[in-house]
Amino acid sequence: MGGACGEGGERTGTLMTVVVNTRDDFTLANFRRVSYGGEPVRVGAQALRAMTAVAGPGPTTGSPGPETARRARWPAPGAGFGGGQLDPAVVRGIVFTRLASLVSGHAGVRPSVAERVAALLDGPMPRVPLDGQAGTGEVFPMAHVLAGLRRDDLHEGEQEALLGGAPCSAALGADAAISARHRLGHAESICALSIEAFRAPLAAYDEALEGLWGDPHETAALRELRRYLEGTGTAGRRFHQAPVSYRIIPRVLGQVHRAVAAVEKAATVSLRSVTSDVVYVSDKASRPGGRAVRSGGFLNGMVYPALNALSAAWADLALVAERQVTALNTAETSDLPVNLVAPGAPGNGTYAYGWAANGYVEEARAAATPALLPGAVADPHADVLSPTFGAYRRERRAAECVDGVLAILALVSSQALFVTGRNPPEPLRPVLSFVRSVFPPIDGTGDRDLSADGGRFQQALGAAARTGELRVLDAGHGPAAVLSGDG
Amino acid sequence: MTVAVNSRDDFTLENYRRVAMGGESVAIGPEARGTMAEGRANFLRLLESDRTQFIYGVTSSFGPRAKLTIPPDQQRAHGRAFGFRRGNWARGFGGGYLDERVVRGILFARLANFVAGNSKARPDVAERLAALLDGPLPRVPLDGEVGAGEVLPMAHVMSGFRRDDLEEGEANPLINGSPVSAALAADTALQACHRLDHAEQIFALSVEAFGAPLDAYDDVLDDLWGDEDEASALAALRHHLDGASREGRPSMAAPASYQVLGRVLGQAHRAVTGAEDAARVSLCSVTDNPVYVPPDEGHPLGRAFSTGGFHNAMAYPALNALAASWADLTLLAQRHVTALCTAAVSAPTGLEPALGGLVEEARAAAMPTLLPAAVNDPQDDVSSPTFSAYRRQARAAECLDSALAVLAAEASQALFAAGRQPAPPLHDLLMAVRAIFPPAEGGPRDPGARVSDLAAALARSAVTGSAAFGISR
Repeated sequence: MGGACGEGGERTGTLMTVVVNTRDDFTLANFRRVSYGGEPVRVGAQALRAMTAVAGPGPTTGSPGPETARRARWPAPGAGFGGGQLDPAVVRGIVFTRLASLVSGHAGVRPSVAERVAALLDGPMPRVPLDGQAGTGEVFPMAHVLAGLRRDDLHEGEQEALLGGAPCSAALGADAAISARHRLGHAESICALSIEAFRAPLAAYDEALEGLWGDPHETAALRELRRYLEGTGTAGRRFHQAPVSYRIIPRVLGQVHRAVAAVEKAATVSLRSVTSDVVYVSDKASRPGGRAVRSGGFLNGMVYPALNALSAAWADLALVAERQVTALNTAETSDLPVNLVAPGAPGNGTYAYGWAANGYVEEARAAATPALLPGAVADPHADVLSPTFGAYRRERRAAECVDGVLAILALVSSQALFVTGRNPPEPLRPVLSFVRSVFPPIDGTGDRDLSADGGRFQQALGAAARTGELRVLDAGHGPAAVLSGDG
Repeated sequence: MTVAVNSRDDFTLENYRRVAMGGESVAIGPEARGTMAEGRANFLRLLESDRTQFIYGVTSSFGPRAKLTIPPDQQRAHGRAFGFRRGNWARGFGGGYLDERVVRGILFARLANFVAGNSKARPDVAERLAALLDGPLPRVPLDGEVGAGEVLPMAHVMSGFRRDDLEEGEANPLINGSPVSAALAADTALQACHRLDHAEQIFALSVEAFGAPLDAYDDVLDDLWGDEDEASALAALRHHLDGASREGRPSMAAPASYQVLGRVLGQAHRAVTGAEDAARVSLCSVTDNPVYVPPDEGHPLGRAFSTGGFHNAMAYPALNALAASWADLTLLAQRHVTALCTAAVSAPTGLEPALGGLVEEARAAAMPTLLPAAVNDPQDDVSSPTFSAYRRQARAAECLDSALAVLAAEASQALFAAGRQPAPPLHDLLMAVRAIFPPAEGGPRDPGARVSDLAAALARSAVTGSAAFGISR
């Protein structure tokens, strides 16, 4: 790994280029640079040598036979259709991930072919439909991804190497992991804002609980909540314990931390895995020409369960957030003004947002239905199919729904602070600024489309999950300031 | 034998196994007695310093009435009357009962709260609790146990606990917190580890019966895939297939269900590890509400405060993941049986059609248990779902055991029809299968009853940790 501009990179014109020499270069950071940053990829000299060494003389045993040739048929792009399209950034990520199996030489692909794959990143990305992509391995989506690749001169085995393996799972896992880490950070800031708005006792987030509970993920959640709440006073807080939804939030967020860590691990491992259906292994001690090993690398067994767990964590977080919205809106519980209506203002304040939150919760719970190994069988040989696309789509939906509930919790918390004339502690003020730039308090003045305002807030959170930045908007809804990664 | 507990570090999976499954008693060690006595004395000093401060259940009422303060002169009676005035909270009924070993496990897990002095209770209370393990255990219904925290099932578990002499702050630590989640996770984790081992052996037997190429389990994949769980699965398969002949195996690739074994079993390893981690952490956690934290520099009397410890958020997702993994393995077993039954040389048992139902049942059981939608009251607005997750995992495991039993029988039949022996490490397993399900042309008489015996033997050996189908190694 190396390059002129720091680890794994070199500057080409105004853009950085990610240089890949070994499997170790296929990191989440490089995935982000290539996928979201739009950086091109260059196959480094070390990788070119490794590929030449294997593809040069070629293996003498176990070379692809008729079965391999049959499986290497290039499915016509369009075998899958409908359901919308993969984000082009994620398609870039798949192209990048494809190279991991090639650079070490284990796929038996010539250097020129790998460079041709990398060059795809310099052009427009093909459209990859989301429906119809559950097959044995990931041949169907890969046929779409590589539709623009010149292949009339490919050698035997190279087509299979390009289409086989599980690069889509790795890329989908990486995309979900990057967004999930940001989304979790934003959720913690909004939950802390809610704690402050409700005036919940702070003991439920006490440092002593780290040792008493003894879990690193719950410890991480407790620390984040305390960081946002640092400097807040104890005066005016309720003397008795808060509703369950406030006391258990560190444990629920701890489970989200666990789920995010699992997706990150699955992505990190998968990005650098060699998953080609046939791998060529140099084995000079016993087989001078090397040998070919056919395996089940094409089924990624770790990404879809990790995405399932993440969807469930979003659904549970959505439910707890909804309970906090209800607590804030209910004067008998919160001791706050009824429906958080500003003095003298008409209407029902934020009350109806509590009802709207129910819909997001139910949708998130539906999206938490796990993607299991598909029940369908393509043929007696292709008797197990890959469920990763299904898991990815469900996680996207669950995440969208939790963004909706978190937007509501944030705007209701902001409203609670507004109607009681309070300010949160310093660490939460940038978060509150963001909230109010997207959704100003309901003060009874002007004519607002509260549905559209809520929708814009949800979209802002969705965008922030990708970038890691909460963008404070100006009055015309343009960006006025950017808050750092986790708020 | 008796398990002595002196600190939270003694609440291990191994000690859990000894108490819950091995029937051993528990003794409160001298270190724990000393710590608890000191904790109790410190707590009473804190309480006496201001009997109007908010300490949930001590100076206040419970649940939605937490705002209601208890006058100082009534606080001891309030604590003592907890079990009577509130009534016995055992309200759930139906759905069968928890196995007695799990009830033992809950009692054991409950003690973790006491031994470090965080429960505020006297050592005698903990000893009385430990003594429950020496008598008959109460029955805990499986239905109706979902509420905020685990008060509902704990009320059943503690139904035989004498409480007429309890003092301030001693009743709540008996039933608050989340010891049930810890025990359900531990019970599941211990079985899951054995179940996975059995699954790997039976799938290896299937590889031998089908004559699948061995490349798919090659040690070069350990590094190329780069995942420790998949490496463990591959290593286990290679261990069971050690010495397997490479002759006579087809040159073409096996069906995908044979090729992907290492990766699907790798996910099962990951899920089992997740359940073990959840159990290990939960067993030694202090989860009581309110919790008492001993004196420190800033708090010379210590502190007693409300937390959400009663909600275990890691056990039920871990059980969900395990149920999903069992469902995927059940499907894989079904695919193997189909492949074996359609192979050129086979002697099908006729059991293959039964697998469709098992796969569907396992998949239904893999629907995740989420935080319950129901709300009891504005204060108790989130409930604990662990009981449900435990039951679904158990159902998925039952389906997997049955599917593995069918696969073992079919693999035995296939080897019988081909006149072949499996790799040497699998000989004992094959012998055990054939002791219950003897090979015969067309299968034995009454194959349904015999495969049911195979499944029951697998389930028993998951609990005991004995070899699959009960044979000794």
